[in-house]
Amino acid sequence: MSRSLVKFAAIILVIAALLYVGVYGLDFTDKYRIPGITDSDGITQGLDLKGGTVIVFRAAADDPSEEDMDNVVNLLRRRLDFQGYTEASVTMQGSNKVRVEIPDVQDSDTAVETLGATAQLEFKDANGNLIMSGSEVKNASSEYGQTEQGISRNSYYISMEFTPEGQQKFSEATKTAAAAASSGNNYISIEMDGNVLTAPRVHEQIDSDSCIITGEFTADEASALAANIKSGQLPFSLAVDEVKVVSATLGEEALTKAVTAGIIGLILVLLFMLLIYRLQGLMADIALLFYIAVVMILLANLHINITLPGIAGVILAIGMAVDANVVIFERVKEELKLGKTVRSAVDAGFNRALSAVIDSNVTTIISAIILWWLGTGTIKGFGITLLMGIVVSMISAIFVTRFLLKQMIGMNVKNPWLYGLSKSKTGSESVKGGKA
Amino acid sequence: MFDIVQKKWIFFGISIVLCLISIVSLIFRGFNLDTDFSGGIALTYEVQGEDFSTEDMSALISDALGDGKAASSVQKSGNDVIIKVGYDSGISDEERVEFSNSVRESITTALEGKFGAPVVEGADATETAAEPATADTEATADPSATVEPAATAAADETESTATGVSTAGTLVSGVRLTSMDDISPSSGRELARSALWMSILACVAILLYVTFRFEFTSGCVAIIALVHDVLILLGIYSLFYVSVNINFIAAVLTVLGYSINNTIVIMDRIRENTRNSRKESYGEIANNSIWQTMTRSINTTITTLLTIGMVYIIGVASIKAFALPIIIGIVIGFFSSVFITGPLWATWRDSAVNAKRAAAGNKGGKKK
Repeated sequence: MSRSLVKFAAIILVIAALLYVGVYGLDFTDKYRIPGITDSDGITQGLDLKGGTVIVFRAAADDPSEEDMDNVVNLLRRRLDFQGYTEASVTMQGSNKVRVEIPDVQDSDTAVETLGATAQLEFKDANGNLIMSGSEVKNASSEYGQTEQGISRNSYYISMEFTPEGQQKFSEATKTAAAAASSGNNYISIEMDGNVLTAPRVHEQIDSDSCIITGEFTADEASALAANIKSGQLPFSLAVDEVKVVSATLGEEALTKAVTAGIIGLILVLLFMLLIYRLQGLMADIALLFYIAVVMILLANLHINITLPGIAGVILAIGMAVDANVVIFERVKEELKLGKTVRSAVDAGFNRALSAVIDSNVTTIISAIILWWLGTGTIKGFGITLLMGIVVSMISAIFVTRFLLKQMIGMNVKNPWLYGLSKSKTGSESVKGGKA
Repeated sequence: MFDIVQKKWIFFGISIVLCLISIVSLIFRGFNLDTDFSGGIALTYEVQGEDFSTEDMSALISDALGDGKAASSVQKSGNDVIIKVGYDSGISDEERVEFSNSVRESITTALEGKFGAPVVEGADATETAAEPATADTEATADPSATVEPAATAAADETESTATGVSTAGTLVSGVRLTSMDDISPSSGRELARSALWMSILACVAILLYVTFRFEFTSGCVAIIALVHDVLILLGIYSLFYVSVNINFIAAVLTVLGYSINNTIVIMDRIRENTRNSRKESYGEIANNSIWQTMTRSINTTITTLLTIGMVYIIGVASIKAFALPIIIGIVIGFFSSVFITGPLWATWRDSAVNAKRAAAGNKGGKKK
């Protein structure tokens, strides 16, 4: 008996600790911290909760190449950076769309306009005079190799190719620039939307259909710069397909209400289980707390984008979580009515109900996976939390509840009434058995 | 104990009528597609200090839009009003942007004229404002180059325009735009297509699992119940012309996965009872199995409804619209699992036995 008591106490402590970690997080060592849901970097809130702007741009071309789309992504990132939206994200959606998420709603109209504008790549001289535009650059790429004769060290550089017209303009500009070397104004700046990307110095006239820009570039810097120069000559414009703006207040209200709904729903389910299934219900309730703790830890640590339907998924899974326990407990009750001892009734109940529990959850898991896999935006969030909820709930309903009940029986808590049998049927009358 | 199998025609009748109504409605009435699918603008305004009715609001908006145009839907939820205006399907990208802006401006102006300009308390303007960009020249500029600092590009772009979505503080009186959703018709069509694919894929995957896991009759019965549940759910939404958006599709897929739960438990019990006893008729086996699992079916339905029901009662408008079809689906799923699947299984089995007997009798007759 004492051993069961120790085990029981141990698991209660473990669940309490997990709940604490789930809410407040835990400093693992000085360096590593497991965030809880109250940590600022814990839950990654979707834009429908924290408020923000989503803009989906579509390439106004029939079949844009992957390379062109990569350039679009690059261009939008750069523009967002220039505007100070460092937390914004840019992702591909399908084969011809780009989704921009900005955690800010100040002025969506301007954002749409500036982000979607055709890129303005310009080459200017030291005095700010326009030399040529980006359309006169045929190609730009980042390369690695020897840049100067006599220097054996390899480095990253950007190689540009010009159109014949571009070549001519560039040749003239470099001639003028090189002549100004003594004054220090011998550079040509390459600007995108008025922001300087790079301003290389010119030492001699370059009259060729190609040139290179050298510097202490890292691989990333070189490829980013090349991509930016290239995106200045996108063969298509961007059309705005979708604009979604949610104010932070609306998201906040939605979140508070959803969490309140979750807590009330949870309390109702806990009470329901306790009233209907008594001791078994209490064990199921403890297992449900285990479920809550694990889900909180997962939500805070997996950096899943939590959307409003996502929270609904977590809450829905609470109701579904006890489903498995209800199946099992009803089975235990029947076994008790057949006159079995509490110990064998519990064993038989779990064993016989297992197939039904698994079968009935697999179909919901299938739906959840499809929503997660193929859904976009908020639906994806629902799919992932529903999936997580069902899997964790099945584990907690089957293993945790069973473990707890075993310890109860080990502690000699065996009154059949506690296991859900009505009073009249306890004791000798329980031999009667149910109709089959 | 009430014999569900014997009274099966009552339940079959209810189901058949509901399914027929659903089919007719789906064919002739179709769906009230939300701007998600049809393309359009959805604007949410918060109104404080004065109550309003949706009728008055609709009239106000029709006046504001002019040209005989009207909002495709006006929905009230507490102090919020959600106004939707659809796009013509052939509209070009340029026309669309222009139309969207003019709709937003005219509605905002009209509402502010009626309810007053927004008076906001405790607004913290810097809370969500973008920080001015620092010139990001280090990353890409040639280290040996003299670079002029890039202008602080974002500095003049953080001011809110009159028609923009406002962010922080509590609205004391007046009206303000709290959310905006603008979707092009092509984007909507694409979303509808992907939703259709998701549904088909989910159906096929669940179908495969059930056929693989259960014997033929039970598998067919489970699938009939599934189709029945989803058909009636879709039928209700079509008949009452409730707007259908992408969240509705997610709800339908959830119902698709979950409503089969009770059926599986009943079929599981039938399988077990068939194994244990040979004397009873299929009808008796089915009826016993249904009643043995009745408490369970009711209790699991209650626990699920307790949680999702709370989401519906307490949640905001968008989440209510998501929870409702799940609730309806769970209730229909309970009905079909308990009252349809068992009797259907027994009827199927009995007719199979009769057919076999008849075939055996014929064969015997011929031989003699």
